Amino acid sequence: MEITLDFETFPVGEALRYLGCAQQDEDSRRLVTEALGPLLSSIHPRYLWRLLPLERISDKLSAGGLPLEGSDIRRHLEGCDRALLFCATLGHEADQLLRRTQVEDLSKAVVLDSCCTAAIEEVCDRAEEQMKARLPGAFFTTRYSPGYGDLPLTIQEAFLSLLEAPKRLGLCASDSSILTPRKSVTAIIGVSEHPLTPAGQRRCESCSARENCPYRKKEEYCGR
Amino acid sequence: MDVNTLLSLDRPILLDGAMGTMLQQKGLPAGAPPESAALEHPQWLLDIHRAYREAGSDILYADTFGASEKKLARWGLTPELVIPAAVDLARQAAAGKALVALDLGPIGQLLEPAGTLSPLDAYEIFARQVRAGAAAGADLAVIETMTDLAEMRMALLAVKENSSLPVLCTMTFEENGRTFTGCSAAAMALTLTGMGADAIGLNCSLGPAQLAPILEEMARYTNLPLIAKPNAGLPDPLTGVYDVTPEEFAGQMSLLADRGIRFLGGCCGTSPATIAALRQAVSGKVSRRKVVEVPAAVCSATQVVPLDRVRVIGERINPTGKKKFKEALLREDMDYLLGQALEQTAAGADILDVNVGLPGIDEKEMMVRAVKALQGVTGAPLQIDSTKPEVLEAALRVYAGKAIVNSVSGEERSLSTVLPLVKKYGAAVVGLTLDEKGIPKTAAERFDIARRILDRAVSLGIPRQNVYIDCLTLTVSAEQDSAVETLEAVRRVRQELGLQTVLGVSNISFGLPARPLVNQAFLTMAMAAGLTLPILNPNLDAMMAAVRSFHLLTGKDRDAREFVAAYGGDTSPAPAASPSSPSSVTLEYAVEHGLKTEAAAAARTLLETEEPMTVVNTRLIPALDVAGSRFESGKIFLPQLIQSAGAAQAAFEVVKEKISTSSGSVSKGTVVLATVKNDIHDIGKNIVKVLLENYGYTVVDLGRDVPKEQVADAVERHHAPLVGLSALMTTTLGSMAETIALLRQRELPCKVMVGGAVLTADYAASIGADFYARDAKEGVDIARQVIG
Repeated sequence: MEITLDFETFPVGEALRYLGCAQQDEDSRRLVTEALGPLLSSIHPRYLWRLLPLERISDKLSAGGLPLEGSDIRRHLEGCDRALLFCATLGHEADQLLRRTQVEDLSKAVVLDSCCTAAIEEVCDRAEEQMKARLPGAFFTTRYSPGYGDLPLTIQEAFLSLLEAPKRLGLCASDSSILTPRKSVTAIIGVSEHPLTPAGQRRCESCSARENCPYRKKEEYCGR
Repeated sequence: MDVNTLLSLDRPILLDGAMGTMLQQKGLPAGAPPESAALEHPQWLLDIHRAYREAGSDILYADTFGASEKKLARWGLTPELVIPAAVDLARQAAAGKALVALDLGPIGQLLEPAGTLSPLDAYEIFARQVRAGAAAGADLAVIETMTDLAEMRMALLAVKENSSLPVLCTMTFEENGRTFTGCSAAAMALTLTGMGADAIGLNCSLGPAQLAPILEEMARYTNLPLIAKPNAGLPDPLTGVYDVTPEEFAGQMSLLADRGIRFLGGCCGTSPATIAALRQAVSGKVSRRKVVEVPAAVCSATQVVPLDRVRVIGERINPTGKKKFKEALLREDMDYLLGQALEQTAAGADILDVNVGLPGIDEKEMMVRAVKALQGVTGAPLQIDSTKPEVLEAALRVYAGKAIVNSVSGEERSLSTVLPLVKKYGAAVVGLTLDEKGIPKTAAERFDIARRILDRAVSLGIPRQNVYIDCLTLTVSAEQDSAVETLEAVRRVRQELGLQTVLGVSNISFGLPARPLVNQAFLTMAMAAGLTLPILNPNLDAMMAAVRSFHLLTGKDRDAREFVAAYGGDTSPAPAASPSSPSSVTLEYAVEHGLKTEAAAAARTLLETEEPMTVVNTRLIPALDVAGSRFESGKIFLPQLIQSAGAAQAAFEVVKEKISTSSGSVSKGTVVLATVKNDIHDIGKNIVKVLLENYGYTVVDLGRDVPKEQVADAVERHHAPLVGLSALMTTTLGSMAETIALLRQRELPCKVMVGGAVLTADYAASIGADFYARDAKEGVDIARQVIG
């Protein structure tokens, strides 16, 4: 499924935040809006999803046959009987544009990189809305991705293959579980017929980047 | 029966339908590998294959789509276990009434530079499957569901080099006519036809109705039989049900059969019922397609350049006579080379010549690196320029498109080594009109050599439209009469042989004053005589102006659109470039505000009165320090810091030029940088690179996904006292540790600094790094501490 991002609704503030720039910094804001033109005109963001039953055998959790290891994801999906597994990507065009811009002007590339990060998060938000709309009346957890907490990053390949992402989205994982194209996300959303206990919106405790996180040091939050 | 017999029947040939969903219906659990069925549930496969055969399939795809060593390893299986069993089951089910295809699907990882899988590793993976399949007695091979032309080429080479099986090649396209990696149907057709595929087409993707226009485009670029094996539309994410019924599917496919699409089948969401409906819909149809005249063209995976007008070949990726280029090659600086590529395409080059021959470097290795890297940033087709056949072949192997080989000559040794490569890889070739006796003086003799090269190429099966002739530009200051001979030879080759013609234009004016004038006049005369592929420097506006004017005057540029777009309201397109506008700002101001041109101009002014190193040490570096501390205190942010660095770099280039004329050195020492093996995040590393260069260090940037041996070799070769390693993933920190271990094991006298988002100072210390750099600024501080 495709999602079109446009200039008017693009989360410029998010891109600035990923850049580590102050919101009121006009110079940086201009750099972001300049980078958006070529980005938005070249990318074709897409996503793919499936609704799968969750199985719990003793303390082993799996979704549609995909083992979900670790206690964090078990806690996250508590009370859910199904899960939305989805993946989204900005596509190869974003990667190529980034490679090209790095050669031409590194400062533009740094800005572009942050714009891409903001863009893929926005795509995920929109995708989440669209998926939820297909399940009226259900209750949902927040998004949870491989690599968060103790859910291993190494499930990326099996995750993508369950969604047939390599052929249906051109989205693959490398031997080191890096998603390619680079600006891509995989995530799980728990689904339940019953209201869920409000899970903590901030998941810094279970984040693998918590040690070095620049946002956390400034007592801010990255938004995931 | 074999594929050729089938093709001689003049009727549509039916393929089979989906395998994965059929296995799931039999009871294969979700997430389990379909390939395991051959070993664990042979009866299921027999049933499915038989059902397809009974529905009318002429070719059954063995259950080997994902039987690559990478995918099977997850389940403790190997291609040698799975493939023979799968082929054998299909053969039993075929019972002599259908052919059995070894099915090769994608490996499931992206190739470099998008991913980390090298093309040559991909080749080896496919070769293993092909050998197993051929030994098991498959009748043909099919390569399907590919989205990357580079991977498709590797699979095709693996089939052709490891078996004698006929091979059908299909890729997966989106509605915009491109694959997920941007490959177009035209580029696929040009490339795979040249490489010897037996039929090409598309599979998976969307439903048949959406794919018709893509097949039409493909049909314009090949005379090979075409294949359509689409999905039954798209699946509903909630139910998994595909939205096109067998009857609708068959109806739409039957229209494709009417257009001469030869091989018809189904992919995801289809079943034996679909194939049965399809058989009924196409029964009695005769499958014929008009022979098309394929347009002369070259291409990358993403861009086709039709040779229907003058096309400019950019000459700047070539170290000959270029000091900075040579230095960049010795420093292994790919970014410099990529910058040259982007500058030329922005200036109007259609095709890029790539020459990296230089004493002291491994030309073959450098050429492969260059060709891979160039494909990551530009879609302009490449012209591989080397005198060594082994370099040409190495480049052709990894080039995902239809390249031009530069060059073959009329010498027997050249003809017999270069032309077979051109044929094998489906390239075009530049034929130089010289032979054992050297360059003939007269047009007539050069024409004769051109004809000899053409005849030889055609006798090897190279289409004549892929032979381009270079009648050779000689320096007019040395041999004044040669220019008219060259032009006459061009005219005859174009008119009498109808071939594309190539000339390196700027050779004409060596040793003369006002070279641009002579070059421009010669280019114009040559185009009038029939030159179609000038090799030139597109960054010189005089040259591009001549080409654009020529297109305007010969009516190729309809309504002068391109001419007006290029020159707008200008009355004169060639403004005299002033070498430097006098600077009105100080170097410090220019650096602080990230003004590149002004920084360079200010440096130039300073150099009139100050020593180069004084400018660096008392002006440039303090200015950078100011930017650095403003960054640290949060007054400016990363983009501005890098802009300041860019301005400082521009000033630094001016200083370096000044010093190189007095043959001194400005470098404080060498730092080797790399993103470690298996990691492809490199923006942070590149920021460190720019800052280090700014402070006067020579940086050897090895790029990303760099094997540890390459890091150690570079440290040794460049006597680098400092190495910077970057890793961004918890999964690649191991590579970082291994790289440091190797540096220590080889006892190289270098310090190691590491950086990357997931690193901590503690972890850095635990893997034996000497320093942990939190950001680029700290990287510079470390370099100052280690090197001074």
